[in-house]
Amino acid sequence: MDLQIWVEGLYIGSVYALIALSMTVVYQPTRIMNFAQGEGFVLGAAIGYQTIGVWHWPVWQAGAALILLAMAMGYVMERMVMLPVQLSGNRFAWIIATLAAALIFQSLFNLPYANVTFGYFEFFKTRANIFGAHIAMQKILVFTFMVFAAVFYDQLLKRTLWGRSIRAVAHNNDTSIILGIPTKLVIKVAFISGTVLIACAGFLAAPVIIVAPASGLFFTIQGFTAAIIGGVGSPKGAVAGGLMIGILDSVVRSSLGGTWGVFSTVMALALILVVRPNGFFGKRVVGR
Amino acid sequence: MISSYKTLNRVLVAGTAIAIALLYLFPLFARTTNNPSYYLQIVSVALCSAILTISLNICMGYGGLMSLMHTGLQMMGGYAVAILTLNHHWNGWLALVMAIVVGAVFAVLVILLSLRATYLYFGMITLAVNLIAMEAIRQGGSFTGGYNGLIGVMAPGITTTMMTPQAFYVFLLTILIGVYVIQRNLVFSGFGRNTMALRESPETATALGISPNVHRVKIFAVSGALAGLAGGLLSMQLGYAMSEIGDLGSGLIFFVGLFLGGISTLAGPIIGVAVVATIAFLIRGTAQYNTLVLGGLLLLCMVVLPRGVVGMYRYSRFGSPHVREFDQAEIDSFQLDISVKDVVKNQILLESHDLAKHFGGIHAVDGVSIVFRSGEVHGIIGPNGSGKSTLISCLTGYYPLTAGSVEILGNPAPKKPFLISRLGVTRVFQIPHLFERESVLDNVLTGMYRRDRYSIFDAIFRTPRYRKANARSTEEARALLALAGLLNQQDLTAGSISHGQKRLLEVVRAVATQPKILILDEPATGLRQDELDVLKGLISRLAKEGMSVVLIEHNVDFLMNLADIVTVIESGKVIAEGTPMEVQKNEKVLDAYLGRTDFSKELA
Repeated sequence: MDLQIWVEGLYIGSVYALIALSMTVVYQPTRIMNFAQGEGFVLGAAIGYQTIGVWHWPVWQAGAALILLAMAMGYVMERMVMLPVQLSGNRFAWIIATLAAALIFQSLFNLPYANVTFGYFEFFKTRANIFGAHIAMQKILVFTFMVFAAVFYDQLLKRTLWGRSIRAVAHNNDTSIILGIPTKLVIKVAFISGTVLIACAGFLAAPVIIVAPASGLFFTIQGFTAAIIGGVGSPKGAVAGGLMIGILDSVVRSSLGGTWGVFSTVMALALILVVRPNGFFGKRVVGR
Repeated sequence: MISSYKTLNRVLVAGTAIAIALLYLFPLFARTTNNPSYYLQIVSVALCSAILTISLNICMGYGGLMSLMHTGLQMMGGYAVAILTLNHHWNGWLALVMAIVVGAVFAVLVILLSLRATYLYFGMITLAVNLIAMEAIRQGGSFTGGYNGLIGVMAPGITTTMMTPQAFYVFLLTILIGVYVIQRNLVFSGFGRNTMALRESPETATALGISPNVHRVKIFAVSGALAGLAGGLLSMQLGYAMSEIGDLGSGLIFFVGLFLGGISTLAGPIIGVAVVATIAFLIRGTAQYNTLVLGGLLLLCMVVLPRGVVGMYRYSRFGSPHVREFDQAEIDSFQLDISVKDVVKNQILLESHDLAKHFGGIHAVDGVSIVFRSGEVHGIIGPNGSGKSTLISCLTGYYPLTAGSVEILGNPAPKKPFLISRLGVTRVFQIPHLFERESVLDNVLTGMYRRDRYSIFDAIFRTPRYRKANARSTEEARALLALAGLLNQQDLTAGSISHGQKRLLEVVRAVATQPKILILDEPATGLRQDELDVLKGLISRLAKEGMSVVLIEHNVDFLMNLADIVTVIESGKVIAEGTPMEVQKNEKVLDAYLGRTDFSKELA
């Protein structure tokens, strides 16, 4: 097997891991798997395309715009999802609301960018040579970003007061309120930081992956698959699951063709749900 | 009040009849416009959407299964018709039947694959399946026509090769009415009650002997069949089958329709789709904003109208069920045979040998051997945390055993709780586990699950076998309710009656399963004196009829008056067993309780 394919798999996997990680950030306090999370990825790619690709802004300026817009999107998303969840009382509210949010954002992206693919130029045009495999520095950047984000979030959950609050909100909302944890703030911050994280991922990865205005749901599914395989709610699981399906996808794709890549990840998902429903790093899931 | 309820009901029935008549006459109205075929097409497509939304309501609203692959099922039904009629020159009617089969089979395959994930992940899995199905269709080459789809699908004909659009419209409307009737029959049948029971509380439904997986597979199969039908009809109406039909974005109309009209209501899907189709028609000039408007509407509707239009009406003063009052003569006229069949007096029904259950280092149950005999009220007492409830969970299959064995009617007990329940061991939980959104009568009928001897097809088509069985069960359920003094509450939702009535209802529902052994976990907690008397009467009557009643109680007075034999458990071990008198004098029992003022006082 060609080393290039494995390296490629690791890179694609780190993109999926980042999506899974941002879904974990939202999932931790809310127990909601956010269908609209992939739209943040598209937002990042769109901002990169517009500011750097079209307007030729310097990177720091584009980055600032990215973070501000992503925060705004995260806030709006939180309202769009949490209001129906809190008020409707239907057990499917979260899935319907996040899906509706995803479709709304998707159609918003489609208005100005109907036939655009968000590739813009790479920050680093150099290529690294690792044991004979050529790989764009941009891809290494995405991988590094993923590792830092995962380690940071893992430590945040384990070591800080804020991390403990997040876990408390997840376990029992009412008790958390009694204990003086600002549950609503914790949830807002989770949505906002999750969206900023995934938008950064989209921004960094757009030059080296195909992102179209309507591909948000596809990335959501991949991130979701990664999260399940790794174990929902666990940062380690998000990384492990992302890398696993990235490599699987890449290997199958290169030997059997593109459609089989997607098939193989869904088959892996089905298999893991039968054999080990809580994933590799997950605890027993208590859903909404 | 009753007369106003009747008037309103009449107005609704008349309104529905007029609406149906107008819909049938719509082709005539359309002819007077400048573009008859266009308007006919719009309403015909809406009719197909309504069929699909009903299918979605069956699995989401009643089955409690979140499906995001209904657009995919619709697409596959459409392709089944297109491929069979265009590539294989099948008759259109046969192709339509195959669309139903394809939808059902595909739905069954997906749910079999994901049975372990029905709760949280099922929606996500169906979404992934939907994307894959679309991708597979697009890569299908000449078989599916790839991205271009298959064009030239025709409506079937009766005498001619093809129906006129007007005739097909009438056909669609008739099918929609038929699908509505199927939905109604399904929901009101025993099968529908069981499925809703599972949706409300899988744990309780299992305790009543309902197999979760069988019901989920069946309801999803019915839903898939209807979705395939809707897809086949849609492709005939549109004249083509395309992968875009499977797109979730275009499926938003079904979700909006369902939530706007009211999920888990019969008429909700149709009313919702009618409203959404009207909105879509009004904004047809700006198609690119369609998803935006519909998505926004869906979120708004969940916030402002959480139960949907029909749901709001049902919960309002006008739409709530009308309560029928029974007079004493009627209540007394119910005859009921609740004698336990196939058992003799003092037969051993259930016994355990050295049963143990350890949670890590905690020995919750530590070598308990216990025997339940027919016609006996068997009390189990013990301090909090002594392992009473754990013992029951072990005996009924909710916990796997660490050691020891359980025998039911002389045979080793099966592993699954619902299988144990089917052998005649019914358990009533410590906290009320009613199906709160169902009526009191329906709660009891759910308990009669094992008596229903009709299939899902009998229920859908209301065959004589179904009618007979249903009439008999309803009569029996009423008689049971009369026994517990709950007859006048039969039409209220179980969530709305008092705590004591809830406990009694739960016992009644358990008796409805025709158990040989009835296990009651603290049934007397929180009951008023008159309710306690009813409960006491009920329990003595059941024991007299040959049932083995197991009573776990803290209310020692209540227990000592009623029990034939009492087992005292402490720290997971049996410390005494005998008649109430013997137990009260037992040294060990006094020792165990003397330090505890609460118990020694009650025992004294």
